[in-house]
Amino acid sequence: MDSYKTTVGIEVHAELKTKSKIFSSSANNYGKMANTCTNVIDLGYPGVLPTLNEEVIKLALRAALVLNCKINKTMHFDRKNYFYPDNPKNYQITQNRTPIGVDGYVEIDTNNGKKKIRIHDIHIEEDTCKSVHSSNKSLLDFNRAGVPLVEIVTEADMSSAEEAMAYLEKLRELLLYADVSDCKIEEGSMRCDCNVSVSKTEKYGTKIEVKNIGSISNVGVAINYEHDRQIALLEKGETLKEETRRFDDKTNSTVLMRVKETGNDYRYFPEPDIPYVTLTDEYVKEVEENIPMTADKRKEFYLASGISEINIKKIIQNRTVSDYLNKFIDKKINLVIASNLLLGDIAAYLNKYEMTLENTKLTDDKFVEVVNALDSGKINSKIFKEILEDVMEQDLSLDKILDNHGVKEMSKDELLDIIKNILDNNEQSVNDYKNGNDRAIKFLMGQIMKETKGNANPTLVTEELTKMLEK
Amino acid sequence: MNKLSREEVEHVAHLARISLEENEIEKYQIDLKMLMDDVDKIKDIKNYDEEMLITPVSHKAELRKDEVGEMLDYKEAMKNVPRSNGNFVEVPVMINE
Repeated sequence: MDSYKTTVGIEVHAELKTKSKIFSSSANNYGKMANTCTNVIDLGYPGVLPTLNEEVIKLALRAALVLNCKINKTMHFDRKNYFYPDNPKNYQITQNRTPIGVDGYVEIDTNNGKKKIRIHDIHIEEDTCKSVHSSNKSLLDFNRAGVPLVEIVTEADMSSAEEAMAYLEKLRELLLYADVSDCKIEEGSMRCDCNVSVSKTEKYGTKIEVKNIGSISNVGVAINYEHDRQIALLEKGETLKEETRRFDDKTNSTVLMRVKETGNDYRYFPEPDIPYVTLTDEYVKEVEENIPMTADKRKEFYLASGISEINIKKIIQNRTVSDYLNKFIDKKINLVIASNLLLGDIAAYLNKYEMTLENTKLTDDKFVEVVNALDSGKINSKIFKEILEDVMEQDLSLDKILDNHGVKEMSKDELLDIIKNILDNNEQSVNDYKNGNDRAIKFLMGQIMKETKGNANPTLVTEELTKMLEK
Repeated sequence: MNKLSREEVEHVAHLARISLEENEIEKYQIDLKMLMDDVDKIKDIKNYDEEMLITPVSHKAELRKDEVGEMLDYKEAMKNVPRSNGNFVEVPVMINE
């Protein structure tokens, strides 16, 4: 069985984050009452004309640039003709001959190192209406009709479920951080269709398309399922037919949808209602220069700031945390401490009360105070935990909050006195340390922390304790 | 006589969602072929240096600012809908598996 090679190509549709639709001024809003965000253009009334949204061009261009594509500086749109209730015009306006970007790539990490997944093209098109099906009827919501999309088509460059998932994670990260799309698979703003084939020879096998996969991990499940299913059929001596299947997440299997129409049946022709769109070099440059900091650049920066790889991964997975942290890049604060706070105590607080940072009383200035106080040893993490709720909920400065909790900074002299006392009272441990017993220092540390009631900075204590022991 | 196959005519009729009578199929096997031959003649034109004309106007596309404008009231939008179901437009079931 292992002599079969799996080949996967992926088409991703991502909805663009615009205020209005691609060809009409209706709102591009998810989650509104069905059919309340429409106008005559979205509903395909006769005689209406599409006008192209400039933000769509900007976001699609950004996407094409982060996918390392060559840009088509003169583009037009095409009509893709088909009869289906999801599109009352009976054609979808898309880009067939002049996609905004071609010949790009996305680099993914695999077990065998980096791999380039080639992007065949990225093109702009309008979304169709959303349909919900029951056994005897289908229900349509035209709020989605005319929402701007980019469709990103790879070459058949992936050879396993893992590679397909790695590609999708990377693509999602790129689009999310470029502010192109919010990429919420569960809300349908990012949708993945996979073409899977198996073959024993260098020639590709029969291409089976799987649609309706609702999560990146299910893309992996669907590909593995198709791999096994197709091989089982071939081993029985059957021939496969090109077809479209649907992923069923209840049974983790794929179900036949329809025998696929071929491309010619769409009878593409240029959309005569939209003249050529031209992108000047200056415009492309301006868009390129204003792409928000990519996830990869952020990772590099965090790594250079000393943040651990595990934490970097967590930060990148949460764009809000990354954006928040980036606000302080110029403030020269300790980003390791800042990220530990955001991922640790602060995240736990926000989770507990189901809040976001914006609706707490943690101002930027207060955050800087807290990080600096922890950095200098003015407070330690135990004290921070005690004052956390007040920091988040009260309109007071850090000093005032510390005052209210009766926390006063321990002077160095006070600390030295305490250390000296402990050493005097624990001669045995001091001797043990001098005889090379490392555990003795931990015991002494414990005694000191107990005596200072946790008000001392552990780093400073270790430093001073070691100094005195070495005397 | 040179003509399209029956399957080709039936396929095109299906794409256009048109049902044809038996005699119509036979008629279109010839008529459509004649049309296609005429179109083929255009392909013989040698002078194809000019860029493809996609629209009769020469100006570039005017882009619209990304602003939300007036939308149809839901009831207004539903006036031309043969069947509705709650807020949805109802159509015969689309998926046949």
